[in-house]
Amino acid sequence: MARDGKTAQRVPAGQEALPVQPDPRPDGGDALPSPDTDDPMSYTYTTDLAAIRAIVHKYAVEAGLTEARAIDFTLAASEVAANTVKHAKSPGSLKIWYDAREIVCQIHDEGVITDPLAGRRQPSLDAVGGHGLWIVNQVCDQVEMQSDETGTTIRLHMILPQADTGH
Amino acid sequence: MWYNKCVDLLTVSVTARESAGEPYTLVEIAGEADVTNTDELRRLLDDEVSQQPRTLIIDLSGLRFMDSSALHALLRVNRALDRQGGVLALVSPQSAVAKILRLTTADRLIPVFDSVAEAAAG
Repeated sequence: MARDGKTAQRVPAGQEALPVQPDPRPDGGDALPSPDTDDPMSYTYTTDLAAIRAIVHKYAVEAGLTEARAIDFTLAASEVAANTVKHAKSPGSLKIWYDAREIVCQIHDEGVITDPLAGRRQPSLDAVGGHGLWIVNQVCDQVEMQSDETGTTIRLHMILPQADTGH
Repeated sequence: MWYNKCVDLLTVSVTARESAGEPYTLVEIAGEADVTNTDELRRLLDDEVSQQPRTLIIDLSGLRFMDSSALHALLRVNRALDRQGGVLALVSPQSAVAKILRLTTADRLIPVFDSVAEAAAG
């Protein structure tokens, strides 16, 4: 199931798109299906979050998101990449691609998120952390998260305006 | 008192001002505030909080981007000022910054004004 390309399809908010316990895979690699496009743009980052934001914003506008939604998408990607800076001991990698329906940004690092509901509950304003993933879940149309001891992959989806109106 | 400190993408300026005889501290934050410069931002803001201002106004009009780490720095200032009887006010957030303030409901905790003059008038 985890390798079925259909799991990348949009699901109603709140439903897990990923299996809770993914099947073991011989390669031990990414449980998310491969990007639909042949050539997603790939970037590796360490602490250069401003560059990541510039890239994501550029692609979001190019894909056809409105400026307000492009800002949201950029904020979401920056928050996820910020987790790499805060928690991972190694660089992160970002892939971004879009088709007629949606734009997707995938961020992978070697950090581990142990809470399967991370970002699904609103933290109080007194909380010392946890706002980042909450914000990500609020602004994106769909968020997929896969984390195990080898690392974390988070995939952010935004539906493009044409797809919203059924063209 | 005036200084200007550049932290990579982030510029923070501080001035002491007065409105109708009431002193206030104006902090202008410009550029992009994220996890990579939050420590420095927090230090600069802590310095101002330690001066025990009655009113601390943070002008966000030059800030293009703020992430949740920088937001925490602002919330921390708000808590500290609250404890010592001071008041924090924010001014003119751009759309990306206004969005994160709204999403986290921080804008219900910290008053947001359209101009420094309005914030200074309380």
